[in-house]
Amino acid sequence: MYQSIAWYTSVFFIFLIGLAFSFVYGESRKLREYGPIQEKGYKIRKFYFLALVAIMGFGSAVSLSRLPYHEQHAKAQSNVKVVDVKGYQFAWDLSDENFTVGEPVAFRVTSKDVTHGFGLYDPNLKLIAQTQAMPEYTNVVSVTFDKPGTYKIMCLEYCSTGHHVMIKDIVVKPKGGK
Amino acid sequence: METKARNSIKRGVAIALTVTSVVLVLMMIFGVMMLLNQGNIIKIPPQLFYQVMTIHGTGMIGIASLGGSAIMWYFLSKYIHLNPKIFFTNLILTLIGVVMILTGIFVFKFSDGWTFLYPLPSASAKIYGSTGALLFLFGLLILGIGYLIMYFYIAARLIKEYGGLGKSLGWDYIFRGKKGYGPPSAVVASTMVIIANSVGILAGATALVESILNILNPNLTFDPMMAKHLTYAFGHIFANCTIYMAVIAVYEILSEYTGRPWKSNKAFLIAWNFSTLFTLMIYTHHLLMDFAVPEWMLIIGQIFSYANGLPVMVVTAYGALMIVFRSAVKWDFASSMMYLAMFGWVAGAVPAIIDATIVVNHVMHNTKWVPGHFHTYMGMGVIAMIFGFMYYFNKTEGTQKQNSVDKLAIAVYFLFFSGIAGSFLYAGKISVPRRWAEHLPEWTASDQVGAVCGILVIVSAVIFTIRYIMGLRTVGKKDQEQSLKSAS
Repeated sequence: MYQSIAWYTSVFFIFLIGLAFSFVYGESRKLREYGPIQEKGYKIRKFYFLALVAIMGFGSAVSLSRLPYHEQHAKAQSNVKVVDVKGYQFAWDLSDENFTVGEPVAFRVTSKDVTHGFGLYDPNLKLIAQTQAMPEYTNVVSVTFDKPGTYKIMCLEYCSTGHHVMIKDIVVKPKGGK
Repeated sequence: METKARNSIKRGVAIALTVTSVVLVLMMIFGVMMLLNQGNIIKIPPQLFYQVMTIHGTGMIGIASLGGSAIMWYFLSKYIHLNPKIFFTNLILTLIGVVMILTGIFVFKFSDGWTFLYPLPSASAKIYGSTGALLFLFGLLILGIGYLIMYFYIAARLIKEYGGLGKSLGWDYIFRGKKGYGPPSAVVASTMVIIANSVGILAGATALVESILNILNPNLTFDPMMAKHLTYAFGHIFANCTIYMAVIAVYEILSEYTGRPWKSNKAFLIAWNFSTLFTLMIYTHHLLMDFAVPEWMLIIGQIFSYANGLPVMVVTAYGALMIVFRSAVKWDFASSMMYLAMFGWVAGAVPAIIDATIVVNHVMHNTKWVPGHFHTYMGMGVIAMIFGFMYYFNKTEGTQKQNSVDKLAIAVYFLFFSGIAGSFLYAGKISVPRRWAEHLPEWTASDQVGAVCGILVIVSAVIFTIRYIMGLRTVGKKDQEQSLKSAS
């Protein structure tokens, strides 16, 4: 969902910026005194500034209420499956590889050597969650699988020449299935 | 004496721009090589791919900085006296650094990327030997020393001319109610750059020394999280400062071409002061996926990354639109590139700001969305400003004139650079990871589109470079013609 929001929002605003530049280019061959243009321009700029602040304020208010950091500091809950993940050049070690749809899972991610990126891809190759795998640190990212299938863990932080082969498949079973 | 100093400055700027343009084309070729490999059109070994990736990133950022410095030095020297030897010192140290980096990468196979994360270089040194890593790290260090020498010298000159860096940033006008306009925009922008980039380079130098010590003595270890903070404080600030140096050309050239002054009023000065502050503090948006970082620091990363868009969108880009609006501006290579570059900068800021949103970053960090946004504001922003300035330099200091090939090359450059940026952003939308030597079949279409666009961008860049180098022959002739006219 967020990928599509990012894409369409970017396209929309870049289009608006393009329109503004095209309009001004179209008017650039005319010649008028700069004083009145500045006066009017500064008035419009106040509203433009306030509109941008409003958009950014709205974006912050909506997005900051959904941060992915909750599990990092939350106490372990009994219904959450905790899985320890260790990255190393160029593979992933998981303490448990049995996953079921609907079951909340907290991945406790670290690294044995250099920094890696724990990227979790769904069966359609869409990135659904990530965190960094850094030596000496543990990052906790929580995921509840919503469909069965083969998910992939891919490395999302450059970790040397085998970076692109650092892929691990995990199978998520349907609820109540085997 | 003054003419001699001015000629030395011009010579230094001309050499820096020549190096910049040639290296740019070379780095673009490396970029297209990577896309062709990811798109399964050519096949290069992963080791070589990552070497190419390392030189592409290091070379591009280094050359954007060199080109930006040439712009800053050229225009700043109009307002304050500058000693050309300092610029040449930086240029020579840069070239020594570049040779060491190239040797480290291509002879000793260093391939850890330009924003490597500690302890990767020492891990790689154990496999490939420490010579390559040390050459690369010391090369970067020497490059940084060159810039620090230049920045400290400029800082000393600004302090002498204006009475302090606060004054050259316009604090008299912001805080003490001084009336009128502040220092020239080139002075304000240069002050911002030397403050922010000196801090950034010192942070980077610390990270480099940590890695060097760790390679020389593996028992000497450091905190990887602190090292990452230092690395991105450097990488973020250094990359941003290339724009803040190059934008001086936009202020100067659009103002000259429209015949309208671009003076530093209070809003302008406030914007640049905020840019200084925000550029220093928002690097944490590179660590949004390091959950162990205190949450407040990451929230600051998001909010102030948003806020950092305001000075450029509300003051600089809006100012560019206002100054051009109904100005009967003469559109030629230089003015067109400056105007389009402002579009490129602002357009690139949009996906950059969106990526700084934590919930978005959670599913887009380190996908090709990231190179998507920085290729937009670097390629269509900074590099366009540098190419535009090259033409302006030859036209102002020589007799170069625009021809129809230039116009066509500009159109091709921007059209197909939009294609590269669009293909990267789309790849980010479909979750393609960045910095992967080989791509899954589902991802290769966007790479192929990017590669084709990249080839046409290279064609334009080659035209810009050839035209610039040929135009250099006319530099100085204008002065000769003028003195001949006045003599007759």
